[in-house]
Amino acid sequence: MECVVQGIIETQHVEALEILLQGLCGVPKERIRVHELCLKSGPSLAVPSEIRLLCDLAQPTPSWTVRHVGGAMRGAGAEQISVLVRTMVESKVSNNALRFFYSLGYKLDHELLKIGFAFRFQRGAPITVTVTSANKMPKLHATDEAVPVTPGIQMVEITAPTAGDNYNEVGAAVSSFCEYLAPLLHLSKPGVSTGIVPTAAAAAASLLSNTGGKII
Amino acid sequence: MSSQILAEVCQCVEGFGSAAKEGRWRTTLTIYRPVARDPSSTATSAPVPMPGDLPRDFLGLTLHDRPGAYFFILRHHRLILQADANVQSLMDKLQSYKARVVLHFEGFQYQLGDFMLRVGKCVQSHADTLRGIMMEVEYLPLSSIDKSRQIMEDFLDIWQDAVIKKSLPGQFINVELNFADYGLQDQYTPQHTALQYATCIVQLMATVRS
Repeated sequence: MECVVQGIIETQHVEALEILLQGLCGVPKERIRVHELCLKSGPSLAVPSEIRLLCDLAQPTPSWTVRHVGGAMRGAGAEQISVLVRTMVESKVSNNALRFFYSLGYKLDHELLKIGFAFRFQRGAPITVTVTSANKMPKLHATDEAVPVTPGIQMVEITAPTAGDNYNEVGAAVSSFCEYLAPLLHLSKPGVSTGIVPTAAAAAASLLSNTGGKII
Repeated sequence: MSSQILAEVCQCVEGFGSAAKEGRWRTTLTIYRPVARDPSSTATSAPVPMPGDLPRDFLGLTLHDRPGAYFFILRHHRLILQADANVQSLMDKLQSYKARVVLHFEGFQYQLGDFMLRVGKCVQSHADTLRGIMMEVEYLPLSSIDKSRQIMEDFLDIWQDAVIKKSLPGQFINVELNFADYGLQDQYTPQHTALQYATCIVQLMATVRS
């Protein structure tokens, strides 16, 4: 399972966000270039399901992961916390995974190229912050020709694993961290639209001027 | 097929004198079946593909010496996928395929010079009926299949002679596999082992049917 929040930020403010995250996390950023293929079960299978195949193109040798994101936790406990708690299982797989799931009756629904960076650190819980642009491909699997789906806007996602019995503590750690980012962006449960934060421009300008526009 | 025969097979190995018993091993093979939609139950007018397009030869394996890995095999498609062990949890959540039969290959392993032998029975999970007896022979110094082919054949000849002298009912059958059909190379890997277990179970089922 995992706790997750999302938000959006204008591309022009991403550099400032990176400076802020660098200072908060104290770890080097990781480059993200992931080809994400969303597969859905075909009509022959009785139970509809969806998986994502992730091909990490940032490494010298591409590596593959299969991920299944399940339903969100419901009930009074879920409504009281500011993060989404959902099941998530992922596994490393060999590079013939796409052909494998096609053979099992899955069909490609859509594919994206996610480009950006991530910070992974420990702050009350192991937290991952990813900042990415989503890019679509004009031709099948043509990652070199990908163009932004929403030019000028990038997505920020914060996730933290939870065992299920500690989601309150993990959720609190994520929420606490989100407060540091509030001047630049607002993070909330996926599906809850919050838009651009009005203070983002001023906050970004402040961050850039304080560091001379340099990322240390 | 009985535990007595298995015990005599083990005695064959131990009769080689220098064989050192090294403990137990277990490999688990799962036969999956699709959870297919009933074509007659669809409410739409659009044609639904018959479930016949879904694979019926879908196997999963956990190898005794690779507990952190899981292997999926689609025999008709000549496809083997290696994944982390938790991929089983992912498949459970998808509910697109269910485990129908689980078989355990388990027994004792012996070090015999440069060879590692694993002798064991094949039993269905939660059942005592012995489905078959199998032996895995590993030649430790080499990982090239071509280079080790002759010595493996020589060992199997010696083994068959020992079994014949014991007057055991039945015989060990070595089914040759064309690993290249699955895109595997000459260097031996756990994927090769997984394929051999899959072939073993197919051979076992064919023998039972005949």
